[in-house]
Amino acid sequence: MSLKIIVCVKAVVVGAPGGRVIRSSNSCELNPFDRPPLEAALRMKEEKGASLTVLSMGPPSCAFVLHEAIAMGAARGILVSDPALAGSDTLATSAALGAALQKLAPFDLVLFGTRSADGDTGHVGPQTAVLLDLPLVGSVDLIEKKGAGLVVERTLDGFRESFEVRLPAALTIHPGFSEPRDVPLAGIQGAFEREQVETWSLSDLGLSAEQVGEKGSPTRVTAISKADRRRKCEFLSGSEEEQAEQVAQRLTEWGLLE
Amino acid sequence: MDIFLSEKNRVVRQSVRRFCEKEIKPIAAEIDRECSFPWEVVEKMGRLGYFGIQAPRELGGAGLDSVSYVIVIEEISKGCAGLGLCVSVHNSVALYPILAFGTREQKQKWVPPLARGQKIGAFCLTEPNAGSDASGIEATAIRKGDHYVLNGNKVFVTNGGVADTCLIFARTDPGAGSKGISVVIAERGTPGFVVGDLEDLCGVRANPVSSIRLYDCRVPLENLLGKEGMGLRIGLTALDTGRLGIAAQGVGIAQAAFEEATKYAKQRKQFGVPISRHQAMGMMIADMATQVDAARLLVLRAAVLRDQGKPFSRQSAMAKLYASETSTSVTDMAVQIHGGYGYSKAYPVERYYRDARVTRIYEGTSEIHRMVIARSVLE
Ligand SMILES: Cc1cc2nc3c(=O)[nH]c(=O)nc-3n(C[C@H](O)[C@H](O)[C@H](O)COP(=O)(O)OP(=O)(O)OC[C@H]3O[C@@H](n4cnc5c(N)ncnc54)[C@H](O)[C@@H]3O)c2cc1C
Repeated sequence: MSLKIIVCVKAVVVGAPGGRVIRSSNSCELNPFDRPPLEAALRMKEEKGASLTVLSMGPPSCAFVLHEAIAMGAARGILVSDPALAGSDTLATSAALGAALQKLAPFDLVLFGTRSADGDTGHVGPQTAVLLDLPLVGSVDLIEKKGAGLVVERTLDGFRESFEVRLPAALTIHPGFSEPRDVPLAGIQGAFEREQVETWSLSDLGLSAEQVGEKGSPTRVTAISKADRRRKCEFLSGSEEEQAEQVAQRLTEWGLLE
Repeated sequence: MDIFLSEKNRVVRQSVRRFCEKEIKPIAAEIDRECSFPWEVVEKMGRLGYFGIQAPRELGGAGLDSVSYVIVIEEISKGCAGLGLCVSVHNSVALYPILAFGTREQKQKWVPPLARGQKIGAFCLTEPNAGSDASGIEATAIRKGDHYVLNGNKVFVTNGGVADTCLIFARTDPGAGSKGISVVIAERGTPGFVVGDLEDLCGVRANPVSSIRLYDCRVPLENLLGKEGMGLRIGLTALDTGRLGIAAQGVGIAQAAFEEATKYAKQRKQFGVPISRHQAMGMMIADMATQVDAARLLVLRAAVLRDQGKPFSRQSAMAKLYASETSTSVTDMAVQIHGGYGYSKAYPVERYYRDARVTRIYEGTSEIHRMVIARSVLE
């Protein structure tokens, strides 16, 4: 039996010219932390014939991350997009993704990156798994099929951990899982030639505007300001030997050199 | 700029840019210094479709549009102009004429290995006595039974040192003037096909530009592209597309120089402030930004026209002329902004300056381009 895998991906903001964030393919890119789970899924597809769908929540201008995943080998892309989703926090995002996953059920495996390069919370994978009552293992760097389930491994606090998980399950994939692949040009042409990306609105998911967006978000970012990083700069003087001596002395005092 | 790009074009740009940052940029200085052709990276580029950007997918290509094509060339050239040249020449003047003028059998035979980058292509027109005046070539391809016998000396062959599939311009009818010129495909390894020493060039040094000499080199008659006597027409059609690539190469080199110069101008302090705050430096940066944008727009316009199936010959000549002149003036300013460091191999602008220079020479010099443009304006 081949696995049905869904990978959740996000378009992250990489540039905000003039301090304004406009999510588009100019200012966004596929979250680098989502490349390893994509790679993991693509390998399972190639080696074990798994089927692969990619799922993203975002504005229509970010559908390109799904096209990019399709260019790499995913079969289908779903964009969850609705004006009412604007302002969603991680819980509301998980609610929307969870509803989309339920619509895609039955599936065997949902993969997430460990975090996103812009929001950087690491919430969405675990929260979505909880909402769907799926077993979750985080930061996985090895996946093997065993019987009807999987054996997955990770390294945590210097220990190597191995888990047996039943399916369906959710995993977040460690960024070091493996080198993500480059995107072949023919894949890009193919991804745009035949539309394989569907857009689902809130009503498609059976959600109301109250459950998501700002209304459905218990947390809110109220202010962002530059952190006050207290760094002290001290200039050493004397000859080069004397300065090197002083550096060594300081480092020893601070316990960084023995 | 970006308003002219489709989502597909942007994904192409992001993907190729990421590849070049990771694979090409780190080795660019070294392969320039060593004059080495980076096979390992080239093989990866082949698997990703960079050698068959516009070839149909059923023939092993990526099936993309001309806008994507110029984006790919710009991005590669930004990392390494020698590799940008390799990919441009391979796609435009080597592979494209086979697609445009080849028979079904020829396409089936030659295109897939070229489009996948398993074979590298070359365009062999220039000779010691025929540069700007292509009709002056002396190489011959004389019919003998079921073969052409090729003799001639082709110089400045881009990719020459590594090319497998070479388009040879030669006289099939030595008495017929420019109407006697034809294109015959010759493969490396054929007896009498001799690759000369690599040129020791000022720039684009990662490209194995060499001479190719043909001594009684016999190739089957079915290697004729188009018909006998169509050589110059095939050459001009190929060069229209080729110039788009060279123009994109110029934009890529200029963009790289512009980015380095801007970064440096913000970091370097003289007279107590970053040099970018000295008005003369700001003026140069403004000129660089404007020229690079203008050049890219000209390139995009020609590419869009080509995608729409409209005439683009004049526009491609304008793009090539302006982008190559921009590339030399922008790299010159980038060196100036770097002061003495710009003249040192420790900084990449020194390489950009050398790489840019040739864009005004190959695939038609700036002077020839001005003639072509003037003729089309005045006719
Ligand atoms: C790195 C490199 C790679 C190349 N790759 C290839 C390749 O892959 N395939 C290939 O076939 N060729 C290739 N070339 C050759 C290139 O296309 C020629 O060098 C170019 O066309 C100019 O020819 P030439 O060098 O003989 O110069 P010439 O034609 O001798 O020109 C000398 C000067 O005279 C000027 N001039 C000539 N005729 C006129 C005129 N009618 N009016 C005004 N001015 C004129 C020119 O503009 C130039 O300034 C390459 C060259 C280089 C340097």
